Amino acid sequence: MVFSLGRSKENDEINNTASIISKPSPVESLKNQVQQELALANATELVNNITDNCFQKCLSNPYSDPQPNCVDQCLNKYLKAWNTVSKTYIARIQDPSTSGEI
Amino acid sequence: MSPSNGKFLDSTELSQLDDSSKNEMVTFLDNETSKQKVQMSIHQFTNTCFRNCVASANSSSLSPQEEQCLANCVNNFLDTKIRVVKGLQHVKE
Repeated sequence: MVFSLGRSKENDEINNTASIISKPSPVESLKNQVQQELALANATELVNNITDNCFQKCLSNPYSDPQPNCVDQCLNKYLKAWNTVSKTYIARIQDPSTSGEI
Repeated sequence: MSPSNGKFLDSTELSQLDDSSKNEMVTFLDNETSKQKVQMSIHQFTNTCFRNCVASANSSSLSPQEEQCLANCVNNFLDTKIRVVKGLQHVKE
């Protein structure tokens, strides 16, 4: 390769490739940022809801000994309930006969 | 994550986005907003319906009755919502 101070087409291509690898485009990094923040918001919501529900079901009675596995079981049950609700809701909003009303 | 990996954009970078990138972002944000609305509804329904349908947490799987109750709960909630909207439209007239 010939050394030159000016910008050759070849150098530009190399620079562009390098910039794609080292740094995502502004649009891509903006999209990633939005998706990460949404994921965080959803995780926070889930943690709060599971804590509320499972605290109530497992530990709300101070007179009885807490069941050691209760919170773990409740957590798994909540996640399964989430999936059931999600399936039902999505089936309902995708049903063309009712989706217009919701 | 550190800003150096391109996660955070400063306002000068944002204002330099060209029109096609802006349009791409608008479409992207519209899609993400609709998806997030569905997500938040599922959070809300699960929270309400778990409270009503699951009596105890002495097992880590749902009984068939609990599963049926959750599905009914979601459908009843949506039916109620439709009825409320229709009722309010009637009041307005």
